[in-house]
Amino acid sequence: MTTPPRSAPRSARRPIARAEEPVVDPASFRDPFGFVFRRNGILYRQVQAPAAADWEAFRSGGLLERLVADRLLIDHEDAALDFAAAPGAVAVIRPRTLDFVSYPYEWSFSQLKEAALLTLELQSRALAAGMRLRDASAYNVQFDAGRPILIDTLSFEVAAATEPWPAYRQFCEHFLAPLALMSKRDVRCGLMLRDFIDGIPLDLASRLLPTSSRLNLGLASHIHLHAGAQRRAAGEAPSPDAPKRERRMSETGQLALLDSLKRTVSGLHWKPIGHWTEYASTTSYSDAGTDSKGQIVREMLAAGGGSTAWDVGANTGVYSAMAAEAGYRVIAWDMDAGSVEAHWRVVRGEGGPAILPLICDFANPSPAIGWALEERRSFLERGEPDLMLALALVHHLAIGNNVPLPGIARLFARMAPRAIVEFVPKEDPMTRRLLAARRDIFEDYGIDGFRAAFEGPFRIVREAAIADSPRTLFLLERRSADS
Amino acid sequence: MPFLAYIDPGSGSMLLQVILAGLLAVPFLFRRVISDAWHRLRGGDDAAAKRAEIREETDRQG
Repeated sequence: MTTPPRSAPRSARRPIARAEEPVVDPASFRDPFGFVFRRNGILYRQVQAPAAADWEAFRSGGLLERLVADRLLIDHEDAALDFAAAPGAVAVIRPRTLDFVSYPYEWSFSQLKEAALLTLELQSRALAAGMRLRDASAYNVQFDAGRPILIDTLSFEVAAATEPWPAYRQFCEHFLAPLALMSKRDVRCGLMLRDFIDGIPLDLASRLLPTSSRLNLGLASHIHLHAGAQRRAAGEAPSPDAPKRERRMSETGQLALLDSLKRTVSGLHWKPIGHWTEYASTTSYSDAGTDSKGQIVREMLAAGGGSTAWDVGANTGVYSAMAAEAGYRVIAWDMDAGSVEAHWRVVRGEGGPAILPLICDFANPSPAIGWALEERRSFLERGEPDLMLALALVHHLAIGNNVPLPGIARLFARMAPRAIVEFVPKEDPMTRRLLAARRDIFEDYGIDGFRAAFEGPFRIVREAAIADSPRTLFLLERRSADS
Repeated sequence: MPFLAYIDPGSGSMLLQVILAGLLAVPFLFRRVISDAWHRLRGGDDAAAKRAEIREETDRQG
């Protein structure tokens, strides 16, 4: 299923010769009940004949309306059947699109936990309406205005509460296993989801979790015992002709299982204690320097134009907040799970500013993964913001990571048409700290080298020295291809 | 009729689920009875009323 609406890539927004040709989303291929496609850059979801009865029940029973009203499910408009991209359509809808589609390996602990609890809440409500979630993929959840929301409108099917939940295993692999590992072992285990697109195998989770996790009734049942049950079932190897076995459980049992999953997820915690979460209070800036930097950043944000911004190396989001105040919808990237967690705790919830903190190591960003490398897109393939902020980032890339300045400039220019970039020279205490234990092999690292590198792909719109600091801020504009 | 899911539910996962559901139902019901009684004792009958409402709605929708 797992078919995220994406904001149209730039290329899709340009008028193209065969504008009427629908483009099917490459993440849609697994789902026999429907798929997502774009026509003229607009996102549609087509409901296929096998899902007709479920779709009708979902609509007419009122569950759809309630879930949308409570902002648990993305809203949509009905489209005419003429819009169908392939034969066999029983309905076509136009879901609201989101600015940006993020993936579970980019979420902090609380984001994944909230997505898990949303999934269980949806299942709970579906059961009360004589339906159920047909899958429990973490990729079906996105973050919208500070809250998780289900984006797959076709996730519901009619089912008796006495049938076991087919998505139980998927829920444990997509949500419970990574949450348990992040909480009980190390928060960086969340990144394992990059390797395991179908969720973390339970035998692996069981081996990696500390022994003490067996004393947690929920984890003992849903992960350790579950892994054992899978191992035993795999050893049985039924003959292909054997009839598919029918299993039944009581309705109370169904609710009890769901309740147990809810309790287990709710009982997992993680608190950020990290180097970067205290970074803001340990920067080299004096008060005057901080004020000056804030003033210049605000002016540059006002001059930047556009409506979306990516703050790369956002830390806990001081400048993301400024960008949001200036009217941008912001994605705040940071490589540190603790910073992103701390930032999320500030911005989440009703009426929070339009900021989405996400985890990404800019020196090794999210790759494209999955079938034909098309199921989940890379960091660079998911649309571009109107403006990029790279404050106190370049010295980490150039000196911490040995990336030459022209390489950094080229990547920035691939990412956004405008950028606010801070240059931190070698004299700065933070750069000196990076160089403390190293031979200085960075001859070109200086403000002249910076200008020379960035003036290739960009035009320098404004350059402003920060008061009471050796640092400089640049507002850059990408040169068009033909200039 | 056996139902078929489009994702692999895993035969081990299905079996375990049925067993766990059976085991968890007992403490689940117990907690429900205790919490209903507690709410009745405290005067408010909100939780039980809400559950009855949901049950009615479920019944209505068949």
